[in-house]
Amino acid sequence: MSSVKDKSTPPLYWRSLEERARDPELLERLRHEFADRDPGEPSSQDRRRFMQVMGASLAFGAATGCRWQEDKLMPFTRTPEGMVPGVPSYYNTAMELNGHSVGLRVKSYDGRPIKIEGNPLHKDSQGAASAIAQAAILELYDPDRSRTPMQVQGGQAAPTSLAEFKKFARKHFSEVMSQRGEGLRVLTTRTSSPSFKDMKARFGALFPLAKWMEYEPVSDVNARAGSVLAFGSVHRAHYAFDKAKVILSLDADFLGIEPNSVSHSRLFASTRVPESETMSRLYAVESALSITGCSADHRLPLRSELIKAFTAALDYQVSQRLAPPAGLGVAQPMPAAPFLADAEVKKFFDALVKDLVANAGSSVVVAGCSQPAEVHALVHRLNAVLGNVPNTVSYTQLDSTDTRTDEQLMQQLADEIKAGRVSTVLCLDTNPVYNAPGSADFKSLLAKVKTTVHIGRYFDETARLSSFHAPLCHFLETWSDGLSWDGGVTLVQPLIAPLHESICPLEFLASVIRDSETTSLGIVRRTHREVIRDDRTWRAAVHDGAIPGTEAKRVTPELRAFGVFGFAVNELGEMNVGNGKLEISLALDSHLHDGRFANNGWLMECPDPVTKLTWDNAVLVNPGTAKELGIQNGALVEVSVAERHITVPALLSPGQAKGSLRLALGYGRTSAGVVAGNINAAEDARADSVGVNAFALRGPGLWHFGSGATVKNSGKSFPLATTQDKHGIDPIGQKGTEDRLPLIVRETTFEKYKEEPDFAKHKVHHPPLLSLWEEPVQYDGHRWGMSVDLNKCTGCGACVIACQAENNIPVVGKDRVMMGREMQWMRIDRYFSGDSDTPKVSNQPVMCQQCEHAPCEQVCPVGATQHNHEGLNDMTYNRCIGTRYCSNNCPYKVRRFNYFNFHEDMKQERNQVKGMVFNPEVTVRSRGVMEKCTYCVQRINLVKIDARNNQRDLVDGEIQTACQQTCPTGAIVFGDLNDKSSHVAQLQGRPRSYALLEELNIRPRTQYLAQVRNPNPELG
Amino acid sequence: MTPFVFPRWANKTVHIAGAVMGIAPLYLIGLVWYGLSPKTLDVGYAPQQPIPYSHALHAGELGIDCRYCHSTVEEAGTAALPSTETCMNCHARVKVNSPKLAPLRESWAKGTPVEWVKVHDLPDYVYFNHSAHVRRGIGCVSCHGRIDQMPVVYQHEPLSMSWCLDCHREPEKNLRPVSEITNMAWHPVSSSEGWQLRKMHHINPSTDCSTCHR
Amino acid sequence: MATSAEYLQWQAEPKGDNALARITDNVVRVVETPRPPAAWYIALAISISWVGIFGAVVGYLFWEGVGIYGNMNPVAWGWPIVNFVFWVGIGHAGTLISAILFLFRQQWRTAINRAAEAMTIFAVICALLFPGIHIGRPWLPYWMLPIPNQMDLWPQFRSPLDWDIFAVSTYFTVSLMFWYMGLLPDLATIRDRATTTVRRLIYGMLAMGWRGSSRHWHRYERAYLILAALSTPLVLSVHSVVSFDFATAQLPGWHTTIFPPYFVAGAIFSGFAMVVTLLVPAREFFGLKRVIEIRHLENMNKIILATGTMVGYAYGMEFFIAWYSGSDYEVFTFFNRAFGPYAWAYWTMVSCNVIFPQLFWFKKIRTSLPAMMVICVLVNVGMWFERFVIICTSLSRDFLPAAWGYYIPTPFDFLTFLGSFGVFFTLFLLFCRYLPMVAVAEVKGVAASGDH
Repeated sequence: MSSVKDKSTPPLYWRSLEERARDPELLERLRHEFADRDPGEPSSQDRRRFMQVMGASLAFGAATGCRWQEDKLMPFTRTPEGMVPGVPSYYNTAMELNGHSVGLRVKSYDGRPIKIEGNPLHKDSQGAASAIAQAAILELYDPDRSRTPMQVQGGQAAPTSLAEFKKFARKHFSEVMSQRGEGLRVLTTRTSSPSFKDMKARFGALFPLAKWMEYEPVSDVNARAGSVLAFGSVHRAHYAFDKAKVILSLDADFLGIEPNSVSHSRLFASTRVPESETMSRLYAVESALSITGCSADHRLPLRSELIKAFTAALDYQVSQRLAPPAGLGVAQPMPAAPFLADAEVKKFFDALVKDLVANAGSSVVVAGCSQPAEVHALVHRLNAVLGNVPNTVSYTQLDSTDTRTDEQLMQQLADEIKAGRVSTVLCLDTNPVYNAPGSADFKSLLAKVKTTVHIGRYFDETARLSSFHAPLCHFLETWSDGLSWDGGVTLVQPLIAPLHESICPLEFLASVIRDSETTSLGIVRRTHREVIRDDRTWRAAVHDGAIPGTEAKRVTPELRAFGVFGFAVNELGEMNVGNGKLEISLALDSHLHDGRFANNGWLMECPDPVTKLTWDNAVLVNPGTAKELGIQNGALVEVSVAERHITVPALLSPGQAKGSLRLALGYGRTSAGVVAGNINAAEDARADSVGVNAFALRGPGLWHFGSGATVKNSGKSFPLATTQDKHGIDPIGQKGTEDRLPLIVRETTFEKYKEEPDFAKHKVHHPPLLSLWEEPVQYDGHRWGMSVDLNKCTGCGACVIACQAENNIPVVGKDRVMMGREMQWMRIDRYFSGDSDTPKVSNQPVMCQQCEHAPCEQVCPVGATQHNHEGLNDMTYNRCIGTRYCSNNCPYKVRRFNYFNFHEDMKQERNQVKGMVFNPEVTVRSRGVMEKCTYCVQRINLVKIDARNNQRDLVDGEIQTACQQTCPTGAIVFGDLNDKSSHVAQLQGRPRSYALLEELNIRPRTQYLAQVRNPNPELG
Repeated sequence: MTPFVFPRWANKTVHIAGAVMGIAPLYLIGLVWYGLSPKTLDVGYAPQQPIPYSHALHAGELGIDCRYCHSTVEEAGTAALPSTETCMNCHARVKVNSPKLAPLRESWAKGTPVEWVKVHDLPDYVYFNHSAHVRRGIGCVSCHGRIDQMPVVYQHEPLSMSWCLDCHREPEKNLRPVSEITNMAWHPVSSSEGWQLRKMHHINPSTDCSTCHR
Repeated sequence: MATSAEYLQWQAEPKGDNALARITDNVVRVVETPRPPAAWYIALAISISWVGIFGAVVGYLFWEGVGIYGNMNPVAWGWPIVNFVFWVGIGHAGTLISAILFLFRQQWRTAINRAAEAMTIFAVICALLFPGIHIGRPWLPYWMLPIPNQMDLWPQFRSPLDWDIFAVSTYFTVSLMFWYMGLLPDLATIRDRATTTVRRLIYGMLAMGWRGSSRHWHRYERAYLILAALSTPLVLSVHSVVSFDFATAQLPGWHTTIFPPYFVAGAIFSGFAMVVTLLVPAREFFGLKRVIEIRHLENMNKIILATGTMVGYAYGMEFFIAWYSGSDYEVFTFFNRAFGPYAWAYWTMVSCNVIFPQLFWFKKIRTSLPAMMVICVLVNVGMWFERFVIICTSLSRDFLPAAWGYYIPTPFDFLTFLGSFGVFFTLFLLFCRYLPMVAVAEVKGVAASGDH
């Protein structure tokens, strides 16, 4: 079955290809690893060292093996304590993104990390993890990761050894040190890591003249600046959405791409339970339809540039109504903006003001990172005026006072390089050549720098132009730390020794500054030596993945009165603007972020939550505006802003603000890998770049968004791979969809719900559903079932990735997605209703519904899909011959077929490392067989066996499917329906619970909790 | 030209042909059924191991309990092979210079594993769990045969799907008190013992696909 | 070319001192000609090259995977199954003519039944090419057969696909026996007229010692009657069973009780059309006008007209039931068929199957060779599209709009279909050249008087 099996000789244990190739020098190092056991280290270290070696061997133990081929078993020489082969162990660690780190729990099989979940002990995560965090495991085993240091001479990159690199670094940086860091610029990402900060300080002491710059293409710097405006110091706002009755998002996708979205999603969802007395009401004012906008009860599409005026108006009106204490200063005057006079806007605005005032003290106003400092300042003021502080909005102080924008940083660096004041640039885990603003033309700038040292996970765009590149180890390969959103310290522990010849950032800095501590473990422990003195506390902290009691304390900063803000002309515009005046906003991609995850197949193929677009970025245009501009879906258009042009396909996007364009960053990589594109790599790794690099448009006047964009239709068109509405929908399809939508996604309003809680049960009228035959199976043991709460689902897609990771689901590529051959077992169906400017959005996760009268079962000629005694719809891959009849007969179309051997590429030696990510508990499907969601039957079985072994009963919630486990909002609940007290039984017992397509009498085991919106009666 | 006429003997061919056409399919089916079954192909598979380890000696004569080496068999799906360390517990003192143990000593010295050849090798799409069986009272001998009498370990049972199903349908035939699982020579005192054990421990093995295939 | 010696010799008056002898000579001389006209070789060369293409594509399919075809989610069945149903349908004419018309004592059938039966067998062979190669693991179709195995596993007899296997293979076996038995007397005739040892031996073997004794004839008639009786239900059963593949599914557009009769009617419709398409040129080329007369073809056309009208009725009834059922999904499916993205396919089907055959009401058209040729080709096109419409449009838009898709075939789909025609024509051309195209004995039987 497993495609990897076809390997001729089963590889012995190995960690890198050199090793498989029996590179003697490397084997030597490996043996060495066994020989030295540092007694000083905690024994968990010890175990890890052994397991990382075992890992790969068992990976292939699992992958290889059939009768005609001899299979090797390789036991330990010394069994690490507390370790049972074949039984997974879990370790807590953390991942840093968006300037804060989120706790993760990693599942590891015999020393081989295979899956990332949220850390249940971590306050923000509580077991949930974003799609990006979960996909990091794929990056760890990405064959395109840089494997050896490279030295570039005369444009020719030649592989060299780590020793070589270290020699070079020692020599070079001691020279620089002797000039006290003259001409040295260190470029890193913004990180919250205390250890990093500590090293930075030590570095500064030795290189006083050097400059250390933390650059993020998209960061919360505007928010910092805003808080300086408002409070005079940098504070971070924390929103208690769970206590909020009314929430206003000003271009803030706090459920999506903005920081801490996992925690925000959970808090928000907890207020969306119609069964409880109250439900929160979410207003969203944004230019592009975001995940937050999809969940909003009311959404006003407004160009980002207009939001400043909108907020000022809000400040004025709200202050008018509840006269704030003089201490809060004066409100902004009502801006004279034509768009505010627009009937729609006015209606929305007035209702909003009323609602906010009515719920003063229990409302929340949030501004997005992309909005300018003034908006953030106004929002701080609004929350104060509304008396939301400290009830729903609280603050923690950040020590950093640096409020220079990333734009200014880049400008400064560019100027200095032009002025020839820079002799060495050290790029640490950053890729400026790709993500610096197009106006800066960093490519040619770097040529002016004598020495560029690049340390990164990939041999990327910057690495190519550097004089020396060294591979950076993955966060699962090293010790480090970070601060979670509330300021608490999280610890990052390695799950596996570096797979390649890579170095850890901390250790590199240590070597540069000749630190006494040389290991990252030592450095991290030193950083926290005050808090953690003895090994026991340390082990406890490592075990929990966090140091308790380190959260920053909540404060209520004094709001400073600030003056009246000025407005640019375009900030006080009409509702719509014509070509040439168009606004364009550049935002993080929902999955690729700023492009650093672009080479991750899972993320690349995970449909965008709103557009359902995969394998490309496209400029989103409001359908009406598109008509004015004369562009259709998929038309290749040239977007120009101030002499900077890119040509990119257009995608008509309902809900996009009029006169506003949205383009996702993170695409158009030229030197990432076979997924995202690597145009000048060797034959076996070459690939065209995917999508268009939107950074090229960045420059003065356009960072997050800017106006004055021109769109020209090239007349050509470009195929886009969306997983829904392929080939566009004709009028008949439209009509058909509208007619049946109320039956598929059943929804009502909070008022109506109170009158008729079981409304969902009366949407479809069908005759009594009788069975023609005796029930084939009696479910006297367990009756597994699932409940999906459409009211909680935000459509973020974390579950899709969780499922992909858990069940060894392949990535198929753009062409096949276009054909309709994507393999993800879970779809999140996204439906628009209403008009195309302000559509209502419904998300519906659809996976196998495990029907009791399963249509797929009766038609399989070989009985490869059978019903089991717990009501699961078993799929036996090794029995399937691939007639695909089951898929035809499945009304949900949730079955996926392996049209090819999607693991073919693993026959290439360079790709074999991919095998290490496989979950050994799930068969790797080969070509020609059908597959589908199994309710994670492997998880069910393992827990059942364990319970049986220990003569105990199953506890409700003990078995969690992968999608349920990771869902930040807890929308998915799985359990035993026979146990009336189980959570899932309770949920399915709720009046608003309904089965999709129940009228077909197929008795699906999955039921949906109908959607209940909470619109403002005044807005209807 | 005289018209073509079949010779007289040709009449016989009719009957022969009939007979052949009747029997051939049955014969073929039988051939495939028997010839390609694991019973024929796999039973008796006894590959040569890097170290001529004799279970007959260790488990048989010396009477070392299976779980001394295969320690994880009761809590894990896999019955782990012993680590070099385990072997060295004795062989650090016993047979220290035996040439047969050279690979063992090398492994101990260098920390490289001994590469044993897998004998009981199920396909990757079959998920057999040792603990689930051992904890219910299925003895080692039921699947591995009289290991304690094997100088060289060989596959004793076909390990085919139907063979698994036979036991899943009638587990009582192989059930024994959990205390006796490693006892190779154990015999039920009464024919009904299996039944009693089955009733007592509510052992109703499932024959659902997902029990073994995921 | 068309005036080559061999060709003219076929067109010439058949030799023989009486009508019966002339009939024999007229048919058998095609087999006896030492060298057929070049046109035959050219035709054969072309169709064999198509067979080559088929082989190549299937080879590639085994190597790469069934993904080389256009199938996807939601349309998991594409052209291969369309072609399968199409060919099985074609295969119906033969048995109907030889069995049912025989039982109804339709004497005119004798002129065409041989060719029709041959066509049946070749069509079924083509049909059987497809199910095997369209499955995901084409080396495992035998798992659908009840063979004892070490896994204790049997096929699932609830699945219509399994019914297909039995239905189609039975049909094939019986038709083959029927056809071959009918051949015996004529093979004997050729044997007896043989002038070379080789022919004498080969046809001798094939004739299985037929001596034309009254006892032979007596048994022959019996067996013929029994086989006819046996295969009569088969004519109805095969395509009914094939239609179950769809009727038993719950997909809107498939889940229809009308399918069995509708499929059978359609099958006969397409089968007869194919017979006419083949015989019109054949009788010209091989000079069989005297045996296969216009009136025979006219009768065929009448049946085509009748069955075509039935099919038209079925199309209408589908819509009525869809509306009458009150199921929104059902209504949408048929509305979508006629006016959705696949409307072009639907209207091709309707015009070819319902509109054009109606021209056969006019005797002029019914009896005009070019006219019937054109219409029958159109009918074949239409019937292929009928299967395409049923399978692909229904699948492309079922219950959940989010899962909708649009099916586009790949070049490999075209090539495989072309290849199956290569197989069909190759077999038919060989048949025309080496076996008597008309059941001489039977024709003589009804032409007892000497002039019919």
